[in-house]
Amino acid sequence: MQGNGFKIALLAFFFALSAWYLYPSARNYFIQQRINGLEEQERVEYERENLQKIRNVKEDALKLGLDLQGGMHVTMEVRTDALIRELATDVDQTFEEVLTAARVLSDETGNSIIDAFVMEFERRDPDARLSRYFRDSDAGITRRSTNAEVSQYLLDQADNAINRAISIIRDRVDRYGVTEPSIQKQGTRRVVVELPGIDDPERVRNLLKGTARLEFHLMAEPDELLRSLERVIDHYNVVVEMTMVEDEEEDDAEADSALATEDLFAEPEEDEPTNPLLEVMQPLGQGVVFGLVSEQDTARVRELLSVPAVREALPIGVDLLYEANPVGLTEDGLEMYYLLGVRDQIELSGEVITSARVDFDELNLPEVTMVMNSEGSRTWARLTGANVDKNIAIVLDGVVYSYPTVINRIVGGRSSITGLDSREEAQDVVTVLMSGALPAPVDIVEERTVGPSLGKASIRAGFISIMVGLGLVAIFMIFYYRTAGLVADLALLFNIIFIFGILAAFKATLTLPGIAGIVLTIGMAVDANVLIFERIREERATGKTLKAAIDAGYSKAFSAIFDANVTTFFVGAILYSFGVGPIQGFAVTLMAGILSSLFTAIIVSRIVFDYMVVKRRMSVSYG
Amino acid sequence: MRIFENTKFNFIGNRRKAYVVSGILLLLSIGSLIARGLELGIDFQGGMEFVVESPVELEPVAVRGQLATVLGSEPEVKTFGVGQVLIRTPAEGDISDIQNRIVEGIAEGFAGSNPQVIKTDVVGPRFAEDLKQGAIWAVLGGLLVVFVYILLRFEWRFGVGAVTALFHDVTITLGIFSAASGVLPFSLQIDQAIIAAFLTIVGYSLNDTVVVFDRIREYSNLFKTEAYDKLVNRSINNTLSRTIVTSGTTLLVVVVLFIFGGEVLRGFAFGLILGVTIGTYSSVFVASPVVVELRARAKAARR
Repeated sequence: MQGNGFKIALLAFFFALSAWYLYPSARNYFIQQRINGLEEQERVEYERENLQKIRNVKEDALKLGLDLQGGMHVTMEVRTDALIRELATDVDQTFEEVLTAARVLSDETGNSIIDAFVMEFERRDPDARLSRYFRDSDAGITRRSTNAEVSQYLLDQADNAINRAISIIRDRVDRYGVTEPSIQKQGTRRVVVELPGIDDPERVRNLLKGTARLEFHLMAEPDELLRSLERVIDHYNVVVEMTMVEDEEEDDAEADSALATEDLFAEPEEDEPTNPLLEVMQPLGQGVVFGLVSEQDTARVRELLSVPAVREALPIGVDLLYEANPVGLTEDGLEMYYLLGVRDQIELSGEVITSARVDFDELNLPEVTMVMNSEGSRTWARLTGANVDKNIAIVLDGVVYSYPTVINRIVGGRSSITGLDSREEAQDVVTVLMSGALPAPVDIVEERTVGPSLGKASIRAGFISIMVGLGLVAIFMIFYYRTAGLVADLALLFNIIFIFGILAAFKATLTLPGIAGIVLTIGMAVDANVLIFERIREERATGKTLKAAIDAGYSKAFSAIFDANVTTFFVGAILYSFGVGPIQGFAVTLMAGILSSLFTAIIVSRIVFDYMVVKRRMSVSYG
Repeated sequence: MRIFENTKFNFIGNRRKAYVVSGILLLLSIGSLIARGLELGIDFQGGMEFVVESPVELEPVAVRGQLATVLGSEPEVKTFGVGQVLIRTPAEGDISDIQNRIVEGIAEGFAGSNPQVIKTDVVGPRFAEDLKQGAIWAVLGGLLVVFVYILLRFEWRFGVGAVTALFHDVTITLGIFSAASGVLPFSLQIDQAIIAAFLTIVGYSLNDTVVVFDRIREYSNLFKTEAYDKLVNRSINNTLSRTIVTSGTTLLVVVVLFIFGGEVLRGFAFGLILGVTIGTYSSVFVASPVVVELRARAKAARR
């Protein structure tokens, strides 16, 4: 029995350690139970009184993954191409072409877009200097800077951009109010945001992506806009006439379609929709309003208006932007939006805003009132003073929120954003404005949202699987190995406690695949004991005493147990290093399960057998 | 209880029959993989998936028809769990916009359906590409590490035997995934969880094989005069009880997982059920016979 003292001490030590790490989880469970059992009133009171305690316990408790507690997992990527464009000044045709080519190149090869951009630029003209676009005296980029220096500057700026984006996103999440959010950088240009218990994913998406690019623009001259509207319509009329001529030629060959065309000509009022633009846009040309478009046609209109010939027909320096709020509904209940003529020159931007808050106007509609810094105030006063009786567009992220007519010069740097849908939207605009604009637009490249009900169902499913799996395996072992099976079941119980202990100790997160890993471990963990028991049976068959058979069984089975477990452990390690999220959870429980099952199957069962056979001189049945 | 004690099955003697069975299964699997291919989940090809829950029954075909007009193209619609459908669309456009259109579309088409989105998965094409690369590296890395370990611990013939069994197991599992996709009433799309299941199968298959090999190695030293194929056969028979019991308990838990683990884990559990079954078969009927073949060939060459 020598050496068993050490084994028992080891077992007691690990057990105590697991208990220590699992204690907060158990307390957390009971506290949550208690809170759930309380009435609304009492609950609020209880939570206020024990805020610190609840928080501490929760902090140390075993964390549940978003797939179990419900929530939102978002991976965002900073648009480096947009950042490059943002940083550049004096952008010309070549620049745009190179950037477009770089985008394609980087998509194909998976290389960084900055490398692709520099390479493409040098390929076109090896002697050309990138510094002509990126002069920045603060960063030491002058006319003489080499392309390598500029490339490094861009890389630095990209690094900088992601770090700034992270701190801005963190600020927004904090302002939104999420318990235990996690915001982490992944790789060089991605941010992973995990938000437990989100009930309005759409709002969060907008908040995370919101660039809050607030800009004040002057608007197009009404006469000029009306004239260009006519030119644009004419352009498409000509296109239609040309295609109609072609149609008629084809019609000679095809009688059927000729008939259809005749029908069209028979009713002149149906002639109008054949102009592709007028099919999707109702022309207005009143004041700064260019046209009226229904929500489902915005993409088509954008396409039609971005044709070079059409762009030329528009007044120089004027963009067409949508208004944020619909002006009415179509007969089908679709929302209709104004398309407005806005000058592309930015007169004033959101950086001058020093404070913003939600307010309500006289009609009790939400608005965001803003105060500008002194420089902004001066510009604002000059701008409003010079444009009395004209409209100024307040543009947020490329959409016109309002375009009030200036009544008189505004001093003191006050302005407001109206036309907001709801209090929440106003609040989110304030949040985004105050956290600052993201350095470049971000894309959501991955999003996984699990509703709380599905999370609860998964916890239940996982719990039932563990219990049923454990029960069936335990019964089977007793059935097959009798007393020894019972001992193996005891080892299995310790095993499960240890797995959870390891997870809690390493602050791992329990996910649904993680639970699957535990269930799988239950089935595989008995393997070590099975190997030992089978060996003991064989040794007994050769006529050895029980004690000798047990000794031989344990020592001879060891190499097989070890080899068999090492391979699975390696697979777990590989899964952990290459996998993401839930898969890592599976890998962690798989590895934890192997380690603890090796320990329990070899140490725990041995202690019990030694106690029974050597100390108590009992006979142990191996079935 | 003793079921497989002192068995005297002639596994090695009948190995050619097993080769025929394995050969047919492999051919069918490869055929299906070539003809039908694997259905990739959104993890690896990008896209959007929404699970919508409703108190009224949502008939997938009707939902597809209803959403085709709202989305402009036909989405894939499948039953997910009780009262739930999974809707899959390509990853284009704004997430919120598409989600709203789906919810409104279903609410309109099915009276009293009050649809709730309980799960969304959105993976952009570039992110999917990265996940795919990650999965490929994980599989290659896993296989490499396992090969190296086997080569270090056992002589090369065993290595070849184990690796052959491994490819056998993974190919047939993939083949069944390919053939059964769309036939069985649950998703068999290859996603990250399935990759984890496959790697676990790799680990498990080896685990099973290694125990038999360990016994062969032991007996080779004990019974030096015995013919090699007899010795291998004896090793398989003497470890058969363990093989069956361990496979039994493992199969038990993965079946439990399949039944009780919920819709999210169904494909994963199905992969494990296949893997455990085929892995057990292959450690007896593929891995060890290959070792015997190699040994016999070496002997013949020496003569």
